[in-house]
Amino acid sequence: MIGRRLLKVWTRIRATVLDRARDPEFQTEIEEHVRLLSERYRGQGMTAEAAMLAARRQFGNTTLLEEDRRSLQTFPAIESVRADLTYAVRMLRKNRGFAAAAVVTLALGIGANTAIFSVCNAVLFKPLPYAEPSRIVTLWERQGDGTLSTVAPANFVDWRDASRSFTGMAAVRASSFTSSFILGGQSEASRLAGGQVSSSFFSVLGVRFVLGRNFLSEEDWPGNNRVAILSYAAWRERFGADRDIVGKAITLNDDSYTVVGVLPTGFQFGSTAADFQARSQADIWVPLALDLQRLQRGTHPLRVIARLAPDVTLAQAQAELDVIAANMARLYPADNRDKGIAAVSLLERVTATVRAPLEMLLGAVGLVLLIACANVANLLLSRAAARQTEMAVRVALGASRGRLARQLLTESLLLAAIGGTAGFLFALAVTGALASHLPPDLSRAAGMAGDMRMLVFTAVISLATGTLFGLGPLFGNGRTSAGESLKQSHRVAGASHSRLRNGLAVAQISIAIILLIGAGLMAKSFWALTRVAPGFRSDGILTARLSLPRSRYPDNRTIAAFERELLATLSRKPGAQSAGLTTYLPLSGLDNGWSFVIEGRPPLPVGMYNMAKYRPASAGYFETLGIPLLRGRSFAPADTADSPWVTVINDSMAREYWGGQDPIGRRLQFGSDTWRTVIGVVGDVRHEGLDEETKPEMYVPMEQAPNTESSPTIVIRTALDTGAAAAELREAVAAIDRAMPVDQIETMEQLVSGSVAQPRFRMVILAAFSMLALVMASIGIYGVMNYLVIQRTREFGIRVSMGATRGDVLRLVLGRAAALIGAGTCVGLVGSVGLVRLIAKLLFGTAPLDPLTFAAAPALLAAVALAASYLPAWRATRVDPVVALRYE
Amino acid sequence: MSKGKSDVHKKSEVLQGTLDLMILKTLHAIGPLHGFGIARRLEQLSKQVLRLNEGTVYTSLLRLQQEGWIAAAWGASENNRKAKFYSITKSGLKQLARETEDWERISGVIGRVLRLAGQKS
Repeated sequence: MIGRRLLKVWTRIRATVLDRARDPEFQTEIEEHVRLLSERYRGQGMTAEAAMLAARRQFGNTTLLEEDRRSLQTFPAIESVRADLTYAVRMLRKNRGFAAAAVVTLALGIGANTAIFSVCNAVLFKPLPYAEPSRIVTLWERQGDGTLSTVAPANFVDWRDASRSFTGMAAVRASSFTSSFILGGQSEASRLAGGQVSSSFFSVLGVRFVLGRNFLSEEDWPGNNRVAILSYAAWRERFGADRDIVGKAITLNDDSYTVVGVLPTGFQFGSTAADFQARSQADIWVPLALDLQRLQRGTHPLRVIARLAPDVTLAQAQAELDVIAANMARLYPADNRDKGIAAVSLLERVTATVRAPLEMLLGAVGLVLLIACANVANLLLSRAAARQTEMAVRVALGASRGRLARQLLTESLLLAAIGGTAGFLFALAVTGALASHLPPDLSRAAGMAGDMRMLVFTAVISLATGTLFGLGPLFGNGRTSAGESLKQSHRVAGASHSRLRNGLAVAQISIAIILLIGAGLMAKSFWALTRVAPGFRSDGILTARLSLPRSRYPDNRTIAAFERELLATLSRKPGAQSAGLTTYLPLSGLDNGWSFVIEGRPPLPVGMYNMAKYRPASAGYFETLGIPLLRGRSFAPADTADSPWVTVINDSMAREYWGGQDPIGRRLQFGSDTWRTVIGVVGDVRHEGLDEETKPEMYVPMEQAPNTESSPTIVIRTALDTGAAAAELREAVAAIDRAMPVDQIETMEQLVSGSVAQPRFRMVILAAFSMLALVMASIGIYGVMNYLVIQRTREFGIRVSMGATRGDVLRLVLGRAAALIGAGTCVGLVGSVGLVRLIAKLLFGTAPLDPLTFAAAPALLAAVALAASYLPAWRATRVDPVVALRYE
Repeated sequence: MSKGKSDVHKKSEVLQGTLDLMILKTLHAIGPLHGFGIARRLEQLSKQVLRLNEGTVYTSLLRLQQEGWIAAAWGASENNRKAKFYSITKSGLKQLARETEDWERISGVIGRVLRLAGQKS
């Protein structure tokens, strides 16, 4: 039964699609019948003609019969859609200029939307590459003032043991991605970016290994931790995709490690958006191996992740963590007083910094699409005006209003479908081009490609736009009665039409104003950002990272010896004008801080600290980077481990802790360090980013650093180009230690440029959108004025014949344009005042209601839109009164 | 306008139903027949009382085919010309039985009602 139903539907669909106007078999059957009838009449003595006539009369109307057959064998609704479509295609073919204009406008609008959507999709909506990623949370220590910080090892262990809300909790050393392992045993020494994790790290993320296994819990213990897991890329590139790698020994930092597993391709980990770039990913993972006997609460080197247990919500987990935090504050008041624990979903954490800019771009591109819609609606209105007679005839012949509406809507949707297809292709091209120019924090979009979501998105917005602009002419046309239009004939009709068109033009202009103001604010704040004095010189500075293996350079003394030799070697080369070393280069993303006490000051209350950023630096570092010395002296080669311990502080620290007094000669202490004497004050440096506040900083000589600084960065001032300078550096390093890798070679200018990549990206994109909006709005107002001139040709003719000058006519038309532009500008300005509040957080050094931007944007738009109106206005002045009056 | 059209449609629908039943019965009684043969048979049976456009027979045949109550096959007619022969199917037989029963019940009811009305006046 069901089978037969389906068969019936299928044959109908087939017949509909094939659309056989006539069924030849059916035709023969009918002709045969009529022939037999007429033969019978001839037998009764009729003439051939009379018999045929009688037979036809008896058989009835064959055309009706044919129609019956078709409606029985096909779907009439689809049939009429087909007819509408065929007609729509014919209409578009006949009006190529119109069709091209509409399709290009739509393709740009839809394409831009699809492109931005796919960036958002990849960065904001795409699940992180783990099993059930929405269950993964990050855990933080929350300070009294609400800021989140990384976690002390002892706190991590206590949380893990006390909590019940999670199926697993794991830690990764916060500086993981920057710690280096020197891979030995191969032809050339190379540096691997390494991560240190607790054994449950990969099981919390739900990673399936390509080869081998995860770390075992006993490998968390010091002494058992000489095991390593390779990233897929490292396995392929460094170990030739050796399928027997598991169980083999490799040499890391001159120690032997056993490879136990290989991660799947595409595994990435990060806790900020920018972590998801290929260069920030670890090549190799080793156990964190916390010494449970000597866990600390004073240092905070860990990032903690956890997987929520089934049926536990984030809020429930947070509630449990609050209880744990309260207990720990009671047990360890020295370190944990006034501290909370914060659980933040990993995806939220990863998208935190990029959500606002991307949402702004998505909103902006939506506005561009609205302008595009208005443009196409305007085009359709012009077409509708020209087709008024056609519509009137169709109404007169009995077409219902719904039928006409369906026809018009079919045409709009056809346009939208063509525009959407073109837009999709455009978006593919744009995303392809964008993928290689993404700022670091959008790097999750690097692999974006045309996918199902993108296709569905395009289809949905095409349909929506088609309906939206298709409605325009319906409202414009709906009220015309057949007789009225036929009588009016060629006189272009409809006050409602004009009102709608004017409304569309005003809307376009107001949206364009909003986009222009947004783009103006972004441009101004980017300009402000690039004008920020970073506190160091960036031109002609080459930077590179060195990696000194612990086995040959066990302490700062041996490291310093190497560094002194390197600086001496470089100074003999012609290229390097000066050079210096540090561990934490500005804008490199590397940072560290320490709490300190000042000699002679009363102790701070429990739980309160003086915090300052801490930076080891060599002699020559300040001079090379051009960081100005404000007081005292800077480091000299004589500042060694054996000389008195000293520190150089920055201006912010001097002002914050010594106010107007001279800090030189004062002493301070950090860690369990000996007392250091302040010997100099240097200028502030924008270490974290050009838009970040400067913080108190204290510098120490490399040799006097409390930690072993095995991965210093060298900075060289040079007149050579990057390649030559890098070659010279490699030569100098190899002359001292052949087995030492030199990598991450970058100029300071690249670092500065990279640090503003995201603001630049959003400014460029927004500027492109606002230009597109400006052009579309101008085309829109051109269309409206052009229409107005055609509509009022007769009137202008009369005016001219009554003595109006060309100037009068020009003023009349331009006055009308100015009124529309003025109205649009007012609406746009009001809208902008409301909307800029949403982007205030994205601005730097620029007020949301920046007067310059709010003045310049309307001025620019008015100039362009008036220029666009000038052509139709000029045409109006050329109207020949005689021709115009004979126009009907 | 569209309302009038649907009324016309309804009327023909009723006629169509009756015609469907007659065609089914004819095919049941005589066996496979072509369209012309069916028209002749109906003409003969109705004895000129029922005048119909013979074209409507074909609409009916199409409908019955779609319902699966009759099947069509090409064959040779009496004077050896190619013709399409229609025959009743199994489900057609069932449908015929159902419709016959319905028809008899309804015509019985209508007959009784008419007789009742006659007595009263």
